[in-house]
Amino acid sequence: MGTTLGIGSSLWAAGGGEHHGLSWLGMMVYIALVLGIVFFALSRAKQDFGQRVFKGFWSQLLEQVYLFIENLCVGIIGAHGRKYIPFILTFWLVIFVSNVVALFFPTSPTADLSFNLGVALIAIGYVQWEGMKANGVLGHFKHFAGPKLPPALLLISFMIFIIEIISEVMKNVSLSLRLFGNIEGGHQAVVAMNNLGGSFVPVGFLLMPIKILTCIVQALIFSLLTCVYLSLVTHHEDDHHHDEAGEPAGHSEAQPAAAH
Amino acid sequence: MFIIGLILAVGGFWVSKEVKLSFLETLASQGILLDFGKTISAIGVFLILFKVIDVFYFTPLRESIQGRTTALEATFGEAESLRSEMTQMKTEFEARLAQTEAEAREKIQAQIREAQEMRTQLMAEATQKADQFLKRAQEDIARDKEQALTEIRQKVVTLSLQATEKLLQDNVDNERNRKLVDDFLAKVEVPR
Repeated sequence: MGTTLGIGSSLWAAGGGEHHGLSWLGMMVYIALVLGIVFFALSRAKQDFGQRVFKGFWSQLLEQVYLFIENLCVGIIGAHGRKYIPFILTFWLVIFVSNVVALFFPTSPTADLSFNLGVALIAIGYVQWEGMKANGVLGHFKHFAGPKLPPALLLISFMIFIIEIISEVMKNVSLSLRLFGNIEGGHQAVVAMNNLGGSFVPVGFLLMPIKILTCIVQALIFSLLTCVYLSLVTHHEDDHHHDEAGEPAGHSEAQPAAAH
Repeated sequence: MFIIGLILAVGGFWVSKEVKLSFLETLASQGILLDFGKTISAIGVFLILFKVIDVFYFTPLRESIQGRTTALEATFGEAESLRSEMTQMKTEFEARLAQTEAEAREKIQAQIREAQEMRTQLMAEATQKADQFLKRAQEDIARDKEQALTEIRQKVVTLSLQATEKLLQDNVDNERNRKLVDDFLAKVEVPR
């Protein structure tokens, strides 16, 4: 059981050295734990739904998170970004709670590259699906070939297409590796610090503030980048219209800032 | 979506146990632990999760927030409507007040004008009556004076006749008679 749940490299204990990762069952247990926390919070918050003013702690917290994600979606994607709120909010909640679980437990779903890759595949897959819905299948893939070039430069268009396809695939890798690296890296840093303090002094606990910040920032970055990708594929036609008219796109200011 | 998610979540277990890819072992030897079974299961869990969370939590939350926003907008709209109504009523009231003041001022002016006309008329009438009274009094005086003079003359004549009669009856001399008449006339003459 200890091996299944990855116990032995917890925040408080001295590090065991090499990280072996979770088994399938162990990951499912942690996913169940994360979903249990999420559903507990949502269920407590739901008690206040329908009231004019949310008075409970959980409902107020969820409302603020909802408004935060709504601002994120509308600010980056535009007015039609509201329909992506459930999608982005689910990501944010699961990733954030998983990250918080990583603070107090030996590991968490987001500290597992396989889980993060699954989440990234869903995010990028959904982005491609929305892109195809917005521009049509041909229009969406045509977009990967870059600007329309003369026939003599067809080879360049083909190369751009290949590079863009690789870029889209690499988005999965970058999203999953970034999250995995930050959470697992933070965990390894705590373990290393604990080793400095011996078996009884949890020196790694001093890293708690920066780890809390990492939890928030990584959940935000994943949600924000998904919004940016959605914005790029669903605003494509609008951007071209704006460019032709010599007007800046409404979301063009938000994207560079968000991408950073 | 729910069924697909369920199939993927369970199918991931099978992939994790049964499917062994050589490049994954290479990655594992380099410290990158990747298990596509867990990835597939994660995708399945998320597919279920999206639907469940959306139906049971986000939709009620969104409806609640939208309902509240709508209620607030309605309240603000109502307040705005009431404010504009109040402004309109205030404007109407001020217009009516100004109109009433103007009417009152007009009435007062009309009353003053009427009073002034009445005063002028009364003054004219009074003057006219006073003139009439004066004229009548002067006429009465003139008539009384004429009448008095007439009466005096008649009395003078009467007295003269009486004196003459007395003189004739008493046979006095001319000189004495003349003296008597003169005395009498001197006595009865009234200065004009």
